[in-house]
Amino acid sequence: MSIGCRDLRVTAHGRELVSVRALDVPAGETLAVLGPNGAGKSTLLRALAHLGAAARSGSILLDGQDATTAQLRQAVAAVLQRPVLQRKSVLDNAAAGLRLRGVRRGEARRRAEPWLDALGVAHLADRQAHTLSGGESQRVAIARALAVAPRVLLLDEPFTGLDATTRTDLLADLRAALNEQDAAVLLVTHDREEARALAQRTALLVGGEIRQIGATADVLDAPTDLECATLLGFTTHLPPALTGHQSMLVARPERCRPLTGSTPPPPDTVVVDGVLRRVVPLGGAHRLDVDTTSGTVTAVTTADVPTSPGHPIRIATAREHLRECVPPVPGRVVVGAAGPGAAVRWPTRPS
Amino acid sequence: MDVLGDGLLEALRLLVTGDEDTWAITALTLQVSLSATVVAFLLGAPVGTALALGRFRGRRVLLAIANTGMGLPPVVVGLFVTVLLWRAGPLGAFGLLYTPTAMVIAQAAIAVPVVTALTATALQQVDPDFLLQMRGLGATRLRALGALLAEARLPLLAAAMAGFGAVVSEVGAAQMVGGNLAGETRVLTTAAVLATSRGQFALAIAFGLVLLGLAFVVNLAVTLAQHRRQVAR
Repeated sequence: MSIGCRDLRVTAHGRELVSVRALDVPAGETLAVLGPNGAGKSTLLRALAHLGAAARSGSILLDGQDATTAQLRQAVAAVLQRPVLQRKSVLDNAAAGLRLRGVRRGEARRRAEPWLDALGVAHLADRQAHTLSGGESQRVAIARALAVAPRVLLLDEPFTGLDATTRTDLLADLRAALNEQDAAVLLVTHDREEARALAQRTALLVGGEIRQIGATADVLDAPTDLECATLLGFTTHLPPALTGHQSMLVARPERCRPLTGSTPPPPDTVVVDGVLRRVVPLGGAHRLDVDTTSGTVTAVTTADVPTSPGHPIRIATAREHLRECVPPVPGRVVVGAAGPGAAVRWPTRPS
Repeated sequence: MDVLGDGLLEALRLLVTGDEDTWAITALTLQVSLSATVVAFLLGAPVGTALALGRFRGRRVLLAIANTGMGLPPVVVGLFVTVLLWRAGPLGAFGLLYTPTAMVIAQAAIAVPVVTALTATALQQVDPDFLLQMRGLGATRLRALGALLAEARLPLLAAAMAGFGAVVSEVGAAQMVGGNLAGETRVLTTAAVLATSRGQFALAIAFGLVLLGLAFVVNLAVTLAQHRRQVAR
């Protein structure tokens, strides 16, 4: 079953939180909705399931047809950012979704058990839920949602607050679990690695609007505008005045490296001159903030910092790592990679 | 010390020998106070739920009123109920004054604010996303509410117990609307007051001890039942 929406607008206290003209997630696909804090990701997810009290207009579609709240309740299971478990055993919690849908306790427990196993928490089945760690609780919450065999699964930043190892393990287990389902899955996250690990397609949500949508690899590697670029980690912004290119160019700071004194830049490299303002230690690497004539440019290097703050420095970025950004056009959704993506065209050779 | 010692001995004698009057008074006390608690819970719990979950104008004022009502003086309640049930009063035609029913009405009025305020507090202590999560798992509004009440069962039980505690120990309302008629409306608190006023301290202490024991047994029974339920899960 697919889920989607048309002309969906969510408002609260007179402020528009979400405005999405069209969105579709077909059965068997995972769509990641990636956005910064406050972009409206959770609001969008809740609106799709008719959850919450915010005022909304537009239609939610199941298999292309307008869906009622009752139909959505039947089709959808949601996992919230913070696992909300009941004062019961782990197994009874995993069975809770089925119980809420009228399944008898014994049957619900029987059907929930394999999902605890799939999520790696079967050994905790008899434990009381309030004794679980955050990671274990989230696993139980996901098992509870999967146990109802939802045709639509909504995941609201389910990995937030988990340590790196737990998160990686849970991502792997969830990916395996989702492979066994034919559900349409919408994953809300602000972490692009989660999107890369789970989603076939990714949508970028900024200011309540979808700016870009397409295959995850395309979207994550070719942002359409500066806000999307920043969201995707392209935080080194090179204005036209620095590069000679007609548009703003962006790159990931780890792709920009400092050049020492007289070292000639490699071919097909854009070089920016500036003055090193400060060095920020990042644990095994350094972020260099460089003042240029057109603002601050950042680079991340694992090598020794070639100079000290206050001294001239050059930052070099291979052209293949530069992306072209255009100003956002209100209401426009870029599908797939933004324009030429990796192949930035150079009208003139930059000085 | 003699008075206290005699009181304890008298209490034991009354209980062990199965004194008919004492057991009748104890039974009526239980009947009136448990009935009033049930009525108060049936009225107060839904109101408390609405105050906890509803989003309407005046909700906070109503919550404040419920909280204030927890300290409602039984004598004041007794006075108002007496006026209502008085022969010439608005409900005088029912002839309820000086009956156990009148005592149930008065005690329920005392317990309703207690149950209401504590129910609201109990539900507000549950995770604010609880209902949203239950709905997100496919629950209807009614089922989600049921899950919420089940989740808050311990503090809800505490609300009921607090209501029972408030009514079983009060004397002012019971005296005013019941009249302390022997064999009809005499309960442990009014009996203890009467015995004290007559200088029968041993008897008064005996009634007091029975009252304490009664409150303890009821609360213990409910607590144990709840504990057993938790262990069974």
